[in-house]
Amino acid sequence: MLTVRNLKVEIAGVEVLRDVGFSLAAGKATVMVGRNGAGKTTTLRAIMGLLPWKAGSVRIDGTELGPLPGHARAGLGIGYAPEDRRLIADFTVEENILVPALVRRMSAAERTRRLDEVYSLLPQLAVMRARPGGGVSGGQGKIVALGRALMLADKVLLLDEPFQGLAPALALEYARTLAHLHSNKRDIAILVTESSPKLLNSIADATLHIERGEIESLASPGDVGGLQHA
Amino acid sequence: MFQTIVPLFVDALANAALIFFVAFGLTLVFSVLRILNVAHGSFYSIGAYVSASIGLWIVSAGLNPWLTFPALLVSAALVAALFGPLIERTLVQWTYGRGEAVQILMTFGLFLILEDLQRLVFGVSSYYEDTPVALLGSIEIGGIIYLNYQLLLIALAVVALVAMRVFIGHTRMGRLLAVVVADREISEALGIDTRRMFTIAFTLGIFLAALGGALATPTAGVAPGLGADTMVLAFAVAAIGGLGQVEGAALAAVIVAAARVLAIYLFPALDAVAPYLVMLIVLLVRPYGLFGKPAIRRI
Ligand SMILES: Nc1ncnc2c1ncn2[C@@H]1O[C@H](COP(=O)(O)OP(=O)(O)O)[C@@H](O)[C@H]1O
Ligand SMILES: [Mg+2]
Repeated sequence: MLTVRNLKVEIAGVEVLRDVGFSLAAGKATVMVGRNGAGKTTTLRAIMGLLPWKAGSVRIDGTELGPLPGHARAGLGIGYAPEDRRLIADFTVEENILVPALVRRMSAAERTRRLDEVYSLLPQLAVMRARPGGGVSGGQGKIVALGRALMLADKVLLLDEPFQGLAPALALEYARTLAHLHSNKRDIAILVTESSPKLLNSIADATLHIERGEIESLASPGDVGGLQHA
Repeated sequence: MFQTIVPLFVDALANAALIFFVAFGLTLVFSVLRILNVAHGSFYSIGAYVSASIGLWIVSAGLNPWLTFPALLVSAALVAALFGPLIERTLVQWTYGRGEAVQILMTFGLFLILEDLQRLVFGVSSYYEDTPVALLGSIEIGGIIYLNYQLLLIALAVVALVAMRVFIGHTRMGRLLAVVVADREISEALGIDTRRMFTIAFTLGIFLAALGGALATPTAGVAPGLGADTMVLAFAVAAIGGLGQVEGAALAAVIVAAARVLAIYLFPALDAVAPYLVMLIVLLVRPYGLFGKPAIRRI
């Protein structure tokens, strides 16, 4: 589905990603684990076209993303939820989720179908659909960002440190939501980054360790406890 | 006193309406592109020159004089279509992400170029074409006579404000513009072509400035130096309202109009500086302007 090869990214002359490579498969959830500053956020931002890369390649179903501007990549079916949520404060929760529908000029039927799917996967969102994006808590905001990403994620879902800063109860809820999503959306590849792998053991089909801008080890399915939905 | 203060205020308000169009464009470009375009006022004078030229041509060619009304709008659209995409795609684009100093220098350079260009094309004599004012005539309300054209200017400013709210709140393009204003990066990640949105917003900003200028010609005419004068006033209005705040600019335009009337009554010598005195006082009390907020970005 998504293949990253020898990705090198420099920020202000500093090599932040030295050699990042991995691939994601449809129906599989991959967890990228690495301490703060390892390069997780940079990897996702580079894939989304928010940062240029110096060398390497990212392909989605054979299409090379390198030459495509950022906004064209979302249209290929990549949903991205950034670590800091980035909701539009003036828009309601539902309007936030619907921004991709607006961008892609979805028909009313298509829009409703997708929105209903998001609400059925993430029922918490239906409850707060009318609240302003600026008025939800950090943890709720992460779910909104996830819902918004799902509107675009026909192929790949990229979630950047969704557990960062969540209270334990909310983190558990988010992990449960993710497990539910993983078992219900079998056609998409999921990548979740995290600084500690604990909460994700139950859904990880594969785990990547990133250290100082390099993927250190590739744990194959089975190495990591848990998974096994099917 | 009522007999003189009301017509004075209407006159000041009609002028403020014209400046509001310029401040509106300035603030729109600022909120979407995050640049302060020093050359913005030049599009007011270019709009004025173009509309005066077209108006004079319509009259001299013996065409229906009512055509001078659509000509005002067409002039502004022409100026925007000619300069908007061209300037944004070339000069302005180079300044993105390069800091305020580069933006100010670059747009100041643009201002100088545009001033010379206007002298080259339109010469140094002033243009005046008042067919629209003559056609609309005047109206007497409560013993006071008003120019209908001035009332129209005030109404148009209100219409522009409402139209922008409807555009931002209820159209696809307007909603996407609001997303870009709030967060460029997530816009791009959600599939919005932000560069295209910059071009559109910049062109719309120029259209508003040129429209102000086009609407000004029938009452005030146009002469060299108008662009610079307008820029300074429009900046004062935008700053009083809070940069990026359209409603703020509208309120600021009304306050400036009131301040000028007050000045004419109490200290006639201060008429011209009244807007800047208001700006000084407002910015001392509220450094981000009446409606401005330091962090939250909205349109
Ligand atoms: N805008 C930036 N300027 C300079 N250095 C940056 C910038 N963004 C990230 N970095 C550096 O890149 C490295 C990787 O950062 P990041 O990808 O955010 O790590 P992670 O998400 O794994 O915590 C860090 O060492 C960080 O200091
Ligand atoms: Mg990070």
